[in-house]
Amino acid sequence: MTIDTYPPATMLGAAAADLAAGVLPSVVQVRGRGRGHGSGVVWRDGATVMTNFHVVDGLGDALEVLTLDNRSLPARLIAGNPRLDLALLAVEGGDLPPATLGDSARLRVGDLVFAVGNPWGQRGVVTAGIVSGLGDLERQHGEERATYIRSDVRLAPGNSGGPLINAQAEMIGINAMIFGGDLSVAIPSHVALGWAGRIPAM
Amino acid sequence: MSDTLSAADLLGAISAQMADAVARAAAAMVQVRGRPRQPASGLVYTADLVLTADHVIERDEDLSVETPDGRALAAQLVGRDPASDLAMLRVADLGVGPAAFAEIPARVGQIVLAVGRPLSGGPMASLGIVSALGGPLRSRRGAVLEQFIQTDATPYPGFSGGPLADSQGTVVGVLTTGLAGGAALAVPAALARRVADSLAGQGYVKRGFLGISSQPVELPEGQRAGLSQASGLLVVRVEPGSPAAAGGMILGDVLVSFDGHAVADTDDLQALLVGERVGRAVPAQVIRGGALANLSITVGQRG
Repeated sequence: MTIDTYPPATMLGAAAADLAAGVLPSVVQVRGRGRGHGSGVVWRDGATVMTNFHVVDGLGDALEVLTLDNRSLPARLIAGNPRLDLALLAVEGGDLPPATLGDSARLRVGDLVFAVGNPWGQRGVVTAGIVSGLGDLERQHGEERATYIRSDVRLAPGNSGGPLINAQAEMIGINAMIFGGDLSVAIPSHVALGWAGRIPAM
Repeated sequence: MSDTLSAADLLGAISAQMADAVARAAAAMVQVRGRPRQPASGLVYTADLVLTADHVIERDEDLSVETPDGRALAAQLVGRDPASDLAMLRVADLGVGPAAFAEIPARVGQIVLAVGRPLSGGPMASLGIVSALGGPLRSRRGAVLEQFIQTDATPYPGFSGGPLADSQGTVVGVLTTGLAGGAALAVPAALARRVADSLAGQGYVKRGFLGISSQPVELPEGQRAGLSQASGLLVVRVEPGSPAAAGGMILGDVLVSFDGHAVADTDDLQALLVGERVGRAVPAQVIRGGALANLSITVGQRG
């Protein structure tokens, strides 16, 4: 498709649909024994899943991830960091397609972003918006300041742990929180990458 | 290099354009501190003037702005217009280029960015479209805003006084949540400029009055004095000595047009009692005794 043969909005629709179709297989639903639904994104080696710590906190050892093609795979917690709200899971028999990592340090306010996840347990939902803000955000409970990506993509409970994707179909964040109903907050992928790099080899 | 654009490139191009638009709008914006809680936003209007929202300036003294490069500067209040929820500040040594205002009106469906500077350290933005164009709107203190833009872009706390910008970063309206119960509205660029020029020139906006009480009435067919309009304003009181009284308006008249514009309700009339008409003799048409009468009323200026 080229812009001289199709109107821009038609092109935009097609491009966004292609992006969603390409990213969806890398997004899983994370759950405990029949309860607790969050999202996760297939990490670099295809055998691990990155999600939020608060998604798996309290779910115990019996975790599972549900893939787009409806395979339920047992998973276990490798490492978790409540301060960063990140957790890494090992997935048994994992041969899942990992998300392509982008450079979250190069984001600009106004950049187009897409969130993929399972809001209210509904599988594989994609929402679009822009980067609304970058920079420090005061954390509750006196936690140290950390940099977050704020965006106006629509999130709901169940989106937590799912990826925030840029216009190049690269993952640039892990969706983590919603403020005031309309401000979504994601942990930058470079923060997740740095943390994952410090986890001792399994 | 091909001059065609693939679908995948398009997303990247749109993303870059919107980030550029935010950067352009944000370059002409300051943070405005005029209330105890959340700072708000302001648009640089000229070399030493900043246009902001009236309702975020809760005090007349101890005002300040923060420039995009992080300088905190003292600001003086030049004037306020509660009807449009706009206020003007004067800031010495501002050193920030003025915002570009759109020359053509916003259209419903147009892609827009709400941009604000509620935090130090960088702008914030949200994406949406122009949802509706409306007006007149009865706002605070019974004043009437002639036109407004409604958007579904999210106005985050502190966005009031910032731009609703198009995809080039040009200002199509000045954002405010202070006009209608927190709804995301914007004062259209042309109207905002008119108000801003009045505030810059004389510190207030001329709003006129006639000195009547009135209520909208249906005009039954056969009692329209040959006009097509189905309603008008029944005059139920004329203040003695008022502009309307001086112009010959009497109890029982039904006002049907003012300065050539049809008047069907009180908001229509309020929207006409502004700007150049204030202090000028304006033609008015009333239905009196089943016939059309032409009056000339010199619009009074509200103190």
